[in-house]
Amino acid sequence: MNRPVEPSPMPPHQAEATNSRNNRRLMSTIWKHRKEYLAISPFYILFAIFGLFPIGFSMFLSFQKWDGISEMSFNGLKNYQFMLTDPEFWRAVSNTLLIWIYSTIPMLFFALIIAFLLHASFMRFRTFFRIGYFLPNVTSLVAVAIVFGTVFSNNYGLLNYVLSLVGLESVEWLNKTWGIQLAISVMIIWRWVGYNAIIYLAGLQSIPSVLYEAAKIDGASGLQAFFRITIPCLRPIILFTVITSTIGGMQIFTEPQVLVGNDGGVSGGGLTIVLYLYREAFVNNYFGYGAAVGWGMFILIALFSILNWRMVQGNSSNH
Amino acid sequence: MIGLWLCAVILVLAGCTGSSSNEKTKTLTLWYWNRSLDDGLLKAVEQQFPGIRIDAQKIGGDFKSKLKTTLAAGSGGPDIVAFNDWVTELFASSDRFYDLYELGAAEIEDDFLDWKWQLGVTPEGTMIALPIDTGPTALYYRADLFEQAGLPSDPEEVHRMLSTWEDYFEAGVQLQQHFGGSVKLTDNISNIYNQINAQSETIYFDRDEEFIGESSASSMRSAWDLAVKASELGLLANANTSSSEWNAAINNGRIASFVGAVWMKEILQQAAPDTTGNWKVARAPGGDGNNGGSFLAIMKSSEYPQEAFEVIKWIQSPDNQIQTFNNINLFPSAKAALEAESMHVEEPFFGGQATGEIFTESARNVKPAYFGAKYANINGIVTRELSMVALQGKNSEKAWEDALNRVKKELLR
Amino acid sequence: MFTRKSFVLYLGLTIGLLLSIFPFYWLVVMATRTTSDIYSYPPKLWFGPHLFDNISRVMASIDFFGAFLNTLFVASACTILVLFFDSLAGFTFAKFDFPGRKWLFIVLLATMMAPAQLSLVPSFVIMATFGWVGTFKALIIPGMVNAFGIFWIRQYAQESIPSELLDAGKIDGCGFFRLYWNVALPILRPALSFLAAFTFIGVWNDYLWPLIILNDESKFTLQVALASLNGIYTTDYAMVIAGTLLAVIPLIVLFLFVSKQFISDIAAGAIKS
Repeated sequence: MNRPVEPSPMPPHQAEATNSRNNRRLMSTIWKHRKEYLAISPFYILFAIFGLFPIGFSMFLSFQKWDGISEMSFNGLKNYQFMLTDPEFWRAVSNTLLIWIYSTIPMLFFALIIAFLLHASFMRFRTFFRIGYFLPNVTSLVAVAIVFGTVFSNNYGLLNYVLSLVGLESVEWLNKTWGIQLAISVMIIWRWVGYNAIIYLAGLQSIPSVLYEAAKIDGASGLQAFFRITIPCLRPIILFTVITSTIGGMQIFTEPQVLVGNDGGVSGGGLTIVLYLYREAFVNNYFGYGAAVGWGMFILIALFSILNWRMVQGNSSNH
Repeated sequence: MIGLWLCAVILVLAGCTGSSSNEKTKTLTLWYWNRSLDDGLLKAVEQQFPGIRIDAQKIGGDFKSKLKTTLAAGSGGPDIVAFNDWVTELFASSDRFYDLYELGAAEIEDDFLDWKWQLGVTPEGTMIALPIDTGPTALYYRADLFEQAGLPSDPEEVHRMLSTWEDYFEAGVQLQQHFGGSVKLTDNISNIYNQINAQSETIYFDRDEEFIGESSASSMRSAWDLAVKASELGLLANANTSSSEWNAAINNGRIASFVGAVWMKEILQQAAPDTTGNWKVARAPGGDGNNGGSFLAIMKSSEYPQEAFEVIKWIQSPDNQIQTFNNINLFPSAKAALEAESMHVEEPFFGGQATGEIFTESARNVKPAYFGAKYANINGIVTRELSMVALQGKNSEKAWEDALNRVKKELLR
Repeated sequence: MFTRKSFVLYLGLTIGLLLSIFPFYWLVVMATRTTSDIYSYPPKLWFGPHLFDNISRVMASIDFFGAFLNTLFVASACTILVLFFDSLAGFTFAKFDFPGRKWLFIVLLATMMAPAQLSLVPSFVIMATFGWVGTFKALIIPGMVNAFGIFWIRQYAQESIPSELLDAGKIDGCGFFRLYWNVALPILRPALSFLAAFTFIGVWNDYLWPLIILNDESKFTLQVALASLNGIYTTDYAMVIAGTLLAVIPLIVLFLFVSKQFISDIAAGAIKS
């Protein structure tokens, strides 16, 4: 290192003495609080082993060629090169984004509507409705995928039956790229609408009614009140739901894996990034490559989170 | 407080640690999957070999990836492990398994079908896996539907008239015209492709692991073309093998036939109870082939390789293979077992036909093939492209090029 | 006394509710039918008489009860450990001052951003090195304390535990741990019950990690057992559906018990974050 040593404000021996005195004092305060440190230590220990270390290790692994059985060998940037030039990786990226769009927008839209309906009604059954809407969220994804598999089935599906009732042609949902993506999106929407609606409802309830009364006195219409008061007040909560559904949406795995298998279905429409990672690492045994895909996914999630944030921020500056 | 901290952790850990093993009995851990071995026979091992305990673990989920990740972990593997037809993928790590020739396998080599035996021997001549069962293929067809459409319905006649894949497709066109679209000739494009390759000696690799898919000796291109042709003629129900869609389509009579291995018999009977008595089995168009069939290997980490070998030798003796065939329908790999009387039992599901006779003939005619370490990955790439041709209307030449490019990339990994 | 407006409200809400509940109804209908019925067209929309046949075949083909107990064990162990470690740490962060407290808490919040999938492969390798592949240890230990729970408990403890009470306890000679156990824990109970339900449901439904870790079928959790029941070579679809029903019921029952508080806590948690 060529960095010049910063001039010390004190003569060296004096500084050393102060340092060691400070150190000793610090050590003794730390010792005094040892129980507190002990109480919070499990989290940090576990995170170091199962959180921090794997992240560093996956960085290392992503530069290795390793099938899990033979010796690891340094592979340079080959894994990343393969990833960026593999059409299936990009398919997985676009599948993930499409599923995210197909699911998130209707999901948040319906959630808002349900939240408004629940908020507007002074009913006795509110708790009952809330439980009913929330129930899908505690159901396991494996079970959800199995049940929706029978709804979207090509040959015996309920949906095709409903289509035939209204005189439409049946569709081979699970043989089509968009059909698989639609089925997965419907599962996500079904499972998360209630959850988000409950959150929006809480947000609506936290808006002070004084604001609306003041708006009424100023002669604002219901619609104006909605856009000027409700939406701005809900913005942080909407941002929260958008970010959580982005992070969730980038990690879709169980729905396609159970619905259409490790390849994401015969047409590959359900091959999401995590499913691709799982297949390459744990089915095809390219562990080094799997680590590289993990990093690719991380960058994608980070980009999208920033994009989301910017979008919601940008909107607020317009108002 | 530290005490409580530790107590909580220890309590949990204690709940999961296994019991220690007894000194005198030798415990052999076995990894297999459901129905890859006869559970009754495994229980009998301990009576047959006093002093040996079998810890048989049924591994669920994706068996191959579980095994490979265990090999990756380097320790804690089983003594004996079952392989499926992906046995060649493990040739590269043959040093992790005992050479069964060194444990005395040569003595029983003549008892087994040669093509099956050779599948477990590496190009260098070490034998890492002993045959369990075989998967000779044949044509399963709905005799009633064939008859209604004016096609031959007797197995002998079907075999003679539909001896090539082209004949078979032609018959399919006739059949579908008769039923006006409500019945399809067969299930899906990948199955046709796989079954044609199953009849071939050379597919993707030669014994030096060189990719030969583009040479004329390989069946890859001809299988591709035939599969695409079936799709173009509209003969496919597009129901994926081993999916509930397939089961439903078969049971609802939407699929009139398919080429499949002998173990599909079990699946067919369970999937399509409503079609009992209407099915028959004939020698497949294009020739006899093999699809699937598993093996047993002994891991280098085993402390008792010789004992393990004696056990697997006994499990796979011709007599026990017959018993396994009778109990759970695994088709034998021992020549003597093919002579068993059980092969001539008439089956009501197949309208009284003794399908064992057809499969026995098929098993005797399978040609020895070499699959190569990357068979599964390559085959996955090709069949994914084929599916796009059948389901998304992708141009077949474009798909072929995409498949080859992706295959070549895969070979460099 | 339905006004037009409230009629529209109720209609909208009821349609939404029916869509939300329908898959459960459909699951029960299919579980009472034979495989042929399920595959038949048009579909049979009303209950059939085969529920108990189907269930008995589930029991015969997988060790359902074993998988149930495995899941119960893993989920309970995780939940108990999470409750203990998270509440201890959350309480400490809320009510004690010590050097580096603020900084350590920021680190804790930052770890919530760390992506789990990034470490999927290395975590597996770590488990393999420890020899934990195929054991419940690999499922329980990494999940026995988490940042979210500590955050949640800290928020609650800050609002609800009066510092005077702790001071009084100290004067009475309570040590650190006694203060936690005798003073804080009883007050934290509502926050803990939410955390318990949240953790339990999460672990119960976890699929990807157990799928990678568990090998022996006798150690499978319900989700993995269910997926393998639905997997390759299964032709008995009525049985798969019945198994799905059985796997879903325990959680729904649990949820109905805790639902009211749980739902408002979820909302409160989101608004706080």
